[in-house]
Amino acid sequence: MRLSSQKTGMLLIAPAIILICSLLVYPVLYGVWLSLFKKHSFFPDQRFVGLANYFYLLKNSDFWMSVWYGTVYSVSTIVLQIVVGVIAALIVNEAFRGRNFVRGVILFPYVIPTVVAIILWKWLLNNQFGLVNYLMLSVGIIEDPVSWMGKDHIMTSLIIISVWEFFPFVVLSVLARMQTIPPTLYEAAQVDGAGPIRRFFHVTLPQLRNVLFVVILLRSIWMFTKFDTVWLLTQGGGAEKYIRTLPVYAYMRTFMYYQAGLGSTLAVIMFIILIISTAIYFKMFRREEEI
Amino acid sequence: MKKKKKLIVVIGFVCLFSMILGGPTLAAKKVIHVWHTETNPVSREAIANIVARFEALHPDIKVEAEALAWGDLEGKIMAALAAGSPPELSHGQPITCAALQEKGLLLSLDEVVKSIGEDNIWDQIKKVGKYGDHYYGLVHAAGTSLLVYRKDLAEKKGLKNPKTWDDLLHNAKELTMDTNGDGKIDIYGLTIPGDNLFINILMGELTKANGGILFDSKNRPHFTDETMIQTLKFWKELTKYLPPGWEGHGYRETFANMYGQKAAMMYQGYGRGASLIEQYAPAHMASTDYYDVWIKPRGPSGTKPAAQVDEEPWMMFKGCKYPNEAIEFLKFFYKDENYLEYIQTVPIHFFPITKSLRKSSAYHATPMIKKWKGWLDVQEYYLDNDLVKPTLVIDWEDMAGKPYLMEILGSGILKDMVMEVTKEGVPPEKAAAKAQKRAEELVKDKGYAKW
Repeated sequence: MRLSSQKTGMLLIAPAIILICSLLVYPVLYGVWLSLFKKHSFFPDQRFVGLANYFYLLKNSDFWMSVWYGTVYSVSTIVLQIVVGVIAALIVNEAFRGRNFVRGVILFPYVIPTVVAIILWKWLLNNQFGLVNYLMLSVGIIEDPVSWMGKDHIMTSLIIISVWEFFPFVVLSVLARMQTIPPTLYEAAQVDGAGPIRRFFHVTLPQLRNVLFVVILLRSIWMFTKFDTVWLLTQGGGAEKYIRTLPVYAYMRTFMYYQAGLGSTLAVIMFIILIISTAIYFKMFRREEEI
Repeated sequence: MKKKKKLIVVIGFVCLFSMILGGPTLAAKKVIHVWHTETNPVSREAIANIVARFEALHPDIKVEAEALAWGDLEGKIMAALAAGSPPELSHGQPITCAALQEKGLLLSLDEVVKSIGEDNIWDQIKKVGKYGDHYYGLVHAAGTSLLVYRKDLAEKKGLKNPKTWDDLLHNAKELTMDTNGDGKIDIYGLTIPGDNLFINILMGELTKANGGILFDSKNRPHFTDETMIQTLKFWKELTKYLPPGWEGHGYRETFANMYGQKAAMMYQGYGRGASLIEQYAPAHMASTDYYDVWIKPRGPSGTKPAAQVDEEPWMMFKGCKYPNEAIEFLKFFYKDENYLEYIQTVPIHFFPITKSLRKSSAYHATPMIKKWKGWLDVQEYYLDNDLVKPTLVIDWEDMAGKPYLMEILGSGILKDMVMEVTKEGVPPEKAAAKAQKRAEELVKDKGYAKW
């Protein structure tokens, strides 16, 4: 008996569909289902509450603070990662002695385990004994030690650490694209009298458009849902309140309040925010003919 | 090709023999899982030694002891219980023990208590794990929070043990110093950890010391009481003498502030700090001549000082595989010779729960105990006068009657309230009202509201 090509095709993609359904679709749907319950995180106490969790959060000031902190964190880190990443890529795209070594070193922050990176940064930024304050005091940039882990500077510290940790991804992506830009474009621009800055804005940047579109999209999703770096920096410490982004708040509701229903509601809200933002992003920046 | 075939045959036989010979041996071993919170290398080594001796006596039992960080423990216990595969034994917060006991998830440790001798255990210790007539928790060692201070600096300023919060503020002001005359503060009067656990610990202590309560018998929060407002105002005053960025300091960093000579008093010190001072302070300063302890002061509405007792109980979980073997292990753990080895790893923090060991000459011969006796005397004073309670516990009745304290601790409601008052300038009354609302919601959500 011979199967039709349509059936054979279905059979061949069945394992992938089963895998996607069990590992992606089911957890997402279960998360949505859980968000409709008042449920203890570990014990079998649960009660259907419909959309009550959503209404509760919409009226909850802590939730809105988390949305605000999450937005500040993700927008600032993405902008800085792109700026720093593109500049670094431009530098290491030039020919100079030791370029390969520098390219390797740039990747370090991305390959160091987050937990190790955070421990190191916490000591570097310690306001009493940290190296950062010591150096800044020695050079005369500051007169008094800065409380990097305190209320007023914790968000700045988090942004600096996150940019340091994740900008190599931008460097890698942008550098890969830069190496494929035809040199003739630069030569033509030079003949037309364009200096380095004009060449960057009129040749390099337009050529990077597509790669930056994807990089910004991916990094936005990753930064908006970033948990480990944010949580490890304070682990519930006093200043945690001032960097309590949505993923951290969802974690707290689930594993510290033991309210799995509310935790899932927060996860679903994050999911919805990301879908809407991505749709707007596509609408604004993706030209029809490129889709 | 032939060689390859031969190799495959040999490997096959080796595997087969291993399964035939090794299989039953492994299967016959009863593996008990023990989770504890003593992550420092010396304590882990002592536990490993005790385990080795126990296994030598019981060849059919294997003990898998695992040291876990505090931050991971509660979630891991809960997840293991939910998955139906809890460890046999684990340390935990007293309020976790209370919550799990209330849900019927713990097994009795009466047999261990009987083997130690109930009369041989300090009365204060018994209150932590005894529910009705049964023990569902048994403290591994006790240590109280301590007000550590720089004795040399206090003597120079003629400062005495503060009796009230006002006295403490006076001392803190006096000890906040510009030592080199450059107009900048070099030593701050006080250091306090800013993390959630320690702020909760401190809120429990201060509430007690000020004669207040956190929750009443109907489980309603009392965060807007005058005693709480006074406590928050005291917090605000205290922050004048704390190093900038104190809210970002963890427990270890506050000790670094002490032995690094950046702070002159530490409100949430513990006995294990003596080891840190010995390790990191300048050698000539590593003694009670420089770092001593005062009895903690009381608040304006309080009559007695109060401190927190760090006494995590061992718990044995319903649904574990080998409860009898776990009981045998605990009995062995508390035998004087084994228990002493464990206690001596952090001797100023680990108060033995048994009277016999605390009186024994072997215990008193421990070099650190001789050197830091003053620190132990204050802890003994607290314990003997019932001035210490576990985290967030105001009265002993709270242990059995308020199983939601674990969630209150985790939620950070108290920490947020303190942050709002001390860092955001929110009036204490307003911050307290917000915390009251959040706590009421949480207690209602957990189904314990009786008001």
